Amino acid sequence: MHALIETAAKAAIILGTALVAAVANAGSAADVNEPHGLWIGAMHGQTPKVLSGAVVVDLAAIEALMPEKPLLLDVGPAARKPEDFPSDRPWLPIHRSIPNAIWMPGAGAAPLDARREELFYRRIEELTHGDKTTPIVVFCRPECWGGWNAGKRLVTKGYTSVRWFPAGTDGWQDKRETTEVKPDTEWIAEPTR
Amino acid sequence: MKILALVLCLALFGMAPAQKVLAADSAATDDERAARWKTIAESVFGDRKIEPTETLIKLDAPQRAQDAALMPVTLIMPEKDKIKSVYLVIDDNPSPLAAHVTFGPAADPGLLQLRVRVDTYTNMHAVAETGDGRLFGTVVFVKASGGCSAPVASTDEEATKGMGEMRMKFTEGAAPGKPMQATLMIRHPNFNGMQMNQLTRNYTPPRYVDKLSVSYGDSKIFDLDADISLSANPVITFSFVPNGKGPVKVVASDTMNGRWEQSFDMPATTN
Repeated sequence: MHALIETAAKAAIILGTALVAAVANAGSAADVNEPHGLWIGAMHGQTPKVLSGAVVVDLAAIEALMPEKPLLLDVGPAARKPEDFPSDRPWLPIHRSIPNAIWMPGAGAAPLDARREELFYRRIEELTHGDKTTPIVVFCRPECWGGWNAGKRLVTKGYTSVRWFPAGTDGWQDKRETTEVKPDTEWIAEPTR
Repeated sequence: MKILALVLCLALFGMAPAQKVLAADSAATDDERAARWKTIAESVFGDRKIEPTETLIKLDAPQRAQDAALMPVTLIMPEKDKIKSVYLVIDDNPSPLAAHVTFGPAADPGLLQLRVRVDTYTNMHAVAETGDGRLFGTVVFVKASGGCSAPVASTDEEATKGMGEMRMKFTEGAAPGKPMQATLMIRHPNFNGMQMNQLTRNYTPPRYVDKLSVSYGDSKIFDLDADISLSANPVITFSFVPNGKGPVKVVASDTMNGRWEQSFDMPATTN
């Protein structure tokens, strides 16, 4: 039953907002309100259907946006190597994403220490050449607050063309090809906490 | 509930025609996946050559997983007398080598079934090692994702309850010398270190079954070297030839020095 709800919820996200609104109005458990600031609870879980100040997009909307060369910002988590993982077994994490995405693993975490947060804003400024009207698509995996938080940070910072793609890498790979992306070198150059 | 079902139906309907991928990208992606496999193969098999095969090993997995943390995978080895061991590799899992099963004299190495975690849409490879030391491989593409970080249960306590308990189910019609199937179920959370405790927001430390040994009497059926890619509460279906006295004995151990042993009597033989 839980799996069914989850599947339905995921499918609904892909479908777009009309149906989601129908479910939400029907009082579904999938109805989550926007927090006032950043979400500081568990990163994995049901997210709101909206992000004030940003536009929620689906796959078609992203593709329509591609000619404008948006900044595709993936904040999905990096694989964690288990402690004491045997050295004779291959540990070869790979991250697949939307082609040309910039991957900043964990950039949607909250709270984020001040230096990391500052680095995040600096990188975005560099990547958008200081133009706050540059379209930015933030995403993660489905049911990931990291994507929502990263979008919230950008909106709060004054970016005016923020798109949030809640279906994330799953929504993309379901219909389009992915490519392997490496973490943004400047983002990981500073040690994560 | 009705609305849920409606959404689900509409969603399935809506998704169906969108299966086609962009032709322009897929060649590049295929190259990338091939390069990935080359890296893994070198890491696991060194410079040993892996020959393609359509007859020595077959890999059967649902094209789309219902639950990426519990994807059933079946390895079929029709020329079973030639098979010494089999490897299961989930290419895009961070730890790609999911399992290596070495068959013993009491095995009937024609079939092996496992349940695995799949992190992202990926190629899955099965490689058979024959008695003369050659390697033969086959591949399928599976659509599942999120299986590695999916929580095992709502709490860690619940997930670890009854850890090490085993059950065995035998197919009917046991007869001496005639191959038969058995399904082994072990209670174990198989924490992989990537699951977050939703209450404390800490990652649950890894603890997973890494060795499994199954024998019939004094004769080995198989040894399994397992990994974090096996699902919680591992379920393994295998085939063996009951010759002489049983029982079927299972020894499982995990990465935190847990060790569990249990024997199972065969159902009455029919001669």
